[in-house]
Amino acid sequence: MKTRSMLSIMFSARFAFCAVLLLTATLPFAGCRLPGKPGEGPEVPRPEQVTNFDTLYGSNCAGCHGANGQNGSAMNLANPTYQSLVDDATLRDVIANGEPGTLMPAFGTKQGGMLTEQQIDAIVAGLRARWNKGNVLAGQNAPAYKAAHAGDAAKGEQAYQTACAQCHEAAPQKPAQGGSIRDGSFLALVNEQTIRTTVIAGRPDLGMPDWRGLVKGRALSEDEITDVTAWLMAQKPATPGQPYPGAGQQGPARIPTPNPVKQ
Amino acid sequence: MAWYKNIYDWLEHRLQLEGPIKHEIMHPVPRKTASWWYVFGSASFVLLMLQIVTGILLGLVYAPSAAHAWDSLQVLNHDLPLGWFLRAMHGWGSNFMVAVVLIHMAQVFLFGAHKYPRELTWVLGVFMLLMTLGMAFTGQVLRFDQDSYWGLGIGASIMGRVPFIGGPLVHLMLGGPMINGATLTRFFALHVFVIPGTLLAFTAMHVWMVLKLGINEWPTPGRIVRRETYIAEYTELAHKDGLPFVPGAVWKDLVFSAAILFAVAVCAAVFGPYGPTGTPDPTIIATVPKPDFFFLWLYTVLSFLPPELETPFLLIVPPIAVAILVALPFVAGVGEKSWWRRPVAVFSVMFIAICFGVFTHLGTYTPWSPIMNAWSGAPIPVELLHNRTPLERQGANVLQQKQCRNCHQLGGLGGQRGPALDTVATRLTEDQLIRQVLQGGGNMPAYGAALSPAETTALVAYLKTLRPHYQPPAVDASRGVVAMNTK
Repeated sequence: MKTRSMLSIMFSARFAFCAVLLLTATLPFAGCRLPGKPGEGPEVPRPEQVTNFDTLYGSNCAGCHGANGQNGSAMNLANPTYQSLVDDATLRDVIANGEPGTLMPAFGTKQGGMLTEQQIDAIVAGLRARWNKGNVLAGQNAPAYKAAHAGDAAKGEQAYQTACAQCHEAAPQKPAQGGSIRDGSFLALVNEQTIRTTVIAGRPDLGMPDWRGLVKGRALSEDEITDVTAWLMAQKPATPGQPYPGAGQQGPARIPTPNPVKQ
Repeated sequence: MAWYKNIYDWLEHRLQLEGPIKHEIMHPVPRKTASWWYVFGSASFVLLMLQIVTGILLGLVYAPSAAHAWDSLQVLNHDLPLGWFLRAMHGWGSNFMVAVVLIHMAQVFLFGAHKYPRELTWVLGVFMLLMTLGMAFTGQVLRFDQDSYWGLGIGASIMGRVPFIGGPLVHLMLGGPMINGATLTRFFALHVFVIPGTLLAFTAMHVWMVLKLGINEWPTPGRIVRRETYIAEYTELAHKDGLPFVPGAVWKDLVFSAAILFAVAVCAAVFGPYGPTGTPDPTIIATVPKPDFFFLWLYTVLSFLPPELETPFLLIVPPIAVAILVALPFVAGVGEKSWWRRPVAVFSVMFIAICFGVFTHLGTYTPWSPIMNAWSGAPIPVELLHNRTPLERQGANVLQQKQCRNCHQLGGLGGQRGPALDTVATRLTEDQLIRQVLQGGGNMPAYGAALSPAETTALVAYLKTLRPHYQPPAVDASRGVVAMNTK
């Protein structure tokens, strides 16, 4: 009895050992899907050779424009209207050289950024592939991306009261739910193009309609958009961002400025 | 008679190894040492063998030249069947070896195995540990990627701080004044010939002494080591209450070593080879080089030390540490072996293990280091932008564009150099925020010269919104006092 049970134990132990050995030996051959097998190409390519859109967008754009091109602090890129409004050359220019007068920095190597022209092309192509839903503006008589002529600021206030005031503010210091856009600091951090693009394309991620939905029953006209932009930019104070309004204009400043530090 | 028996007899007739080998492997060991606690030494040996076998195979393909090393690793990773697995086995084998050697060392120390008559075994072991770490460092250099390049830079700058002979030492280590082709050749020679050769010789002596002096008996409280009586007591224990090493104790060593090899293979298959990360090109600045895990603790310590303490720490502490380890069996060579009677030893091991663990953990996420692409890569959580005014949104843009996120987290993303800003408005009032942004302080640089008044206003407007709705904003306590006094 004893020998038989010993034998069977030895047999099963040997069997288990062989099975483990076999498993170990076949482990590396078990198809090409072992999780440890390195993917194609080097694990860390040279930074200028990265052309994957997700990687480039994720490390250069997502910070301000949002993880999915929406709900970021800056422009809503995943907006089909915006995608139809702006052409490739403009996108490329804004990414490479930044948008002057705004917080959009230059990313092109010629401007001191880290992105090569191929990488910027890859980002533009990726933006289009991901968020362009065809030309949604076809036949909509949409205003152009750039204003054709300077706006008339005097006429702009009327357009503002018609189109913007209900959500932003009718009079200074009386903001509505959309928050003030007549704030001096806000106006100092945007340029005419920011306002024009936002008016035309809207911010669907924030619930702001595009130029067709701002006034009930009709779309804003090209002139109204140009004029309201000009009027808003004219509201920018000479010394924006003073914590005590008017401090920069009325005689000597209330807080003595320290001697400028040598840079 | 079977043919293989004939061959065996022919060989044995001339070699005459059967007698000595049988004598050694059948020697009696104290019964209690046939324990799972005594398997780490043999496992270290098996891992060394694994490293030698996989190392030789890697050496068939690896090109020890600065221009081709990185490419030859790419060939191994991508072009040769199972080349990646070979690299992974060697890399994980080295990790396991460092870990098992450290465990072995802690175990023999806690079991008092360094005491008489095994002092030299311990001292050799200390040098074998240093050589194992040397193998780990030189191996990391041979991977010749970004980590390796900057690791060499750190190593050279440590060497360069040695007084008087620092310059020549760096020259000797790098084969020139800077990292170049000769550097890799030198480290190849060290990793493949010098250190492993010495390590094998030391291992042979280490094992020889274990066989000659006998394995350390299981420590019993009250069983005191005395130079005069120990040998006789040990021989009596091994013969009276002993069992032959084969097969009495050896099967546990075999099972554990097999399990360790299996674990190395599983790690290799699941986690894959180490890098190589980016090409070793110093013009690539978008890199965050880090040492492999066994030197992460040092990376952390050097990050946290004030600059003026770095050189003393680097040049004085390692020699002292080695001196303590070498002196240990001569200072504490007799007396109690049991950990129940050696509280200082137990607490020293615990203290070192906890320090090692904590520093290593910190090294994995480097809270002292800014994350240089967080400003453009770490999105602000959607809920922290919900219902914000246009000005506050521009403030969020300022926060990103001025790279605040490189040091400050929002929603768990960003650097950890400064405090997270998720609830900053509960801690700082508007005036305090403006002052902090403009003048800096508490390790934060002043941003007054880098921000326009509009940018500051927008930024502070946004920061003021960063608090949970159930927590009140920070208030200036002095305002209440002033208001009361003016009533």
